[in-house]
Amino acid sequence: MNQIQQILKDRIIKLCSVMSVSGFEKRAKDTLYEKLGGDFDEIKTDPVGNHIFIKRCGKENAPLCLVDAHFDEVGMMVTDILDGGFLKFTQIGGLSLSVLQAADVIIYGRQTLRGVIISTPPHLRDGSDKLAAIEDLLIDTGYSKEALEEITPVGTPVGFAPVYREMLSGTLVGKSFDNKACGAVCAEAIASIDRSDLPCDVALMLSSFEETSRLGGVSSGVYSLEPDYAVVTDVNLARVPDTKKYETVPLFEGISIAFSTATDRALTLASEKLCKEKDIPHTMTAAPSSTGTNSPTVNLTGRGVPVVDIGLPLKNMHTYNETVSLDDAESLYRFIREFVMSKEIAEFFKKREEDIFNV
Amino acid sequence: MYNEKISPELYELCNLFGPSGYEGEVADYIEDKIKNICDNYTKDRMGNLICLIRAGDENAEGRQRIMVSAHMDEVGVMITEICDDGLLRFDTVGGINVSVLEGRKLTLSSEKGKLCGLVMSKAIHHIDRKDRDKPNKIEKLYIDIGAKNAEEASTRVSIGDFGAFDSEFYLFGEDGAFVKAKAIDDRAGCANIIEVMRSIYANRPEANLDLYFCFTVREETGLSGAKVAANEIRPHIAIVLESTAIADIPTADPSKKVADVGKGGALSVADRSTIYDKELIELALASGKEENIPVQLKRYVSGGNDAGHIHKSGSGVRCLAISVPTRYLHSPACVASVEDINSVRRLLEALLYRITD
Repeated sequence: MNQIQQILKDRIIKLCSVMSVSGFEKRAKDTLYEKLGGDFDEIKTDPVGNHIFIKRCGKENAPLCLVDAHFDEVGMMVTDILDGGFLKFTQIGGLSLSVLQAADVIIYGRQTLRGVIISTPPHLRDGSDKLAAIEDLLIDTGYSKEALEEITPVGTPVGFAPVYREMLSGTLVGKSFDNKACGAVCAEAIASIDRSDLPCDVALMLSSFEETSRLGGVSSGVYSLEPDYAVVTDVNLARVPDTKKYETVPLFEGISIAFSTATDRALTLASEKLCKEKDIPHTMTAAPSSTGTNSPTVNLTGRGVPVVDIGLPLKNMHTYNETVSLDDAESLYRFIREFVMSKEIAEFFKKREEDIFNV
Repeated sequence: MYNEKISPELYELCNLFGPSGYEGEVADYIEDKIKNICDNYTKDRMGNLICLIRAGDENAEGRQRIMVSAHMDEVGVMITEICDDGLLRFDTVGGINVSVLEGRKLTLSSEKGKLCGLVMSKAIHHIDRKDRDKPNKIEKLYIDIGAKNAEEASTRVSIGDFGAFDSEFYLFGEDGAFVKAKAIDDRAGCANIIEVMRSIYANRPEANLDLYFCFTVREETGLSGAKVAANEIRPHIAIVLESTAIADIPTADPSKKVADVGKGGALSVADRSTIYDKELIELALASGKEENIPVQLKRYVSGGNDAGHIHKSGSGVRCLAISVPTRYLHSPACVASVEDINSVRRLLEALLYRITD
């Protein structure tokens, strides 16, 4: 592992350990400002929980480039408190039932408590061939019902415990790489650039609500920022056994760049060209109608924003043991650097803007 | 990580690697802990660790041999195939539901060293809506170690290598009253025996007893190492320390509620492998009452343990089993009450001072 990958690994683990279950993104504000604030000129958190970090290039009439990475994560929320210290819960975002039993969770109430999702031992199975429904699962807290009513009222967010491990070939395994791994890499990439090398102002948006509604947080942020062009980064489903090749991207072969009717073709081709020129590993994919990311929303907000959709391959999506490759993370890091520093792209959009007849 | 209410040995033991058939790391750890608190010890042909403490008059006629056992092994997996893409196929060692395997981190360990593996779980985006409530079959699951191909994987793992859950040990609940860990079954028993050996070695019972403390192998696969240990020891009485599955959660069928967390060690009356000795049960209940140690009876006939082999060994052995009531047994997240673990230890100690020759 090289030095960049070591730094990225550290940044990814730090950011992904923060709780940001959809709807609770604002709670991470102080931590985020502390972790990332020093590298940016302006910081704000908007009414719907988008955290926005702006780095100015200091040039007049510079276009604004948006780098978006959704900051929310899938998780759970307390729905009821039962006798014996058990919590009923519901999912926030799409969770796979098959990994919930026996999971370590953290309950972010008035105090932060640890808990365990119940599971049925083989000795006591009833022969059912179905997974327990989420309504039948509970979180064991070891507290009394009375105490829980004070500490973890209905509506309290619950996240998976952050435990990270490194596997072979520089793969990292743990929770919430979707999508804070992209956020951490983008932040590090932008922070590493000297202002004089920027042809544009850069707004890094760690956006809210992606997991619960694709029309959620990001549109408000884009509306107020009015960027001239944008790159949306999100994790992408990695190829594993029993999946279709055209729906997945391979791990270890760099970022993915999606052609889609929901993105800007010129910007997509420019991004591909950039990768080729700078020798950045990448895979071209096609997602005709929707990318399944923030891209379509960014594209259609305000006067419309030219956007390119960039993916970081990820295995075991929406579990607490998602897997990413640090080689791929480095490819994303290098791409974001080159993208925001690209004079060609900045000038292309500046010129296009000037050419548009003002209705 | 742990507080003064639990022994650091419980924490360390639960974190050790030891699926059935690969208990060496646990045995070495325990050997180091017991070598100065017994009169003699040996590792037998099977890998059982057997320790002797003599009490009373060493030359007395009719000395009673008492076997106290806990098993060192835990449930796990074994690698059965290395696929071309570097993923591994596997099967379970001991009873594990697939619903607690999928998506979990494992530790793989062999003579080549340790590494992290992950039982892969398909993204929900790739599962048909109608299949989302169906558990996967083990044939459909793979372990990912990050290898890019079979060649890279083969440098670190081989067919036949073992894996066990990689799961954090922590205390939780009000005042840290509960322990969450993998392998509480039966490292809690091992930790309790080590502690009891300490006090028995320092303060021996008056009765003429040969106390054999056994740390056994391969309980979880049913190919019980305890069977061989019992053949070697030929005990008059055996006390098995175990962890028992319970169902004391609000959503479980109350008729299957085996025992209650927080109400002390659970004495088995009968399970699927043994009918236990009535007099020993009475003695245990009386000891609990006299010493003010909570103790309860198991209320549901399920499971089995090393007593199943021990009671039939040689010319027959009177058996007692004391179990820590443990939620979510055979999962990466077993939960037991710290008080219960301590109650089992105190009850065993009280019993050993009450057994007569």
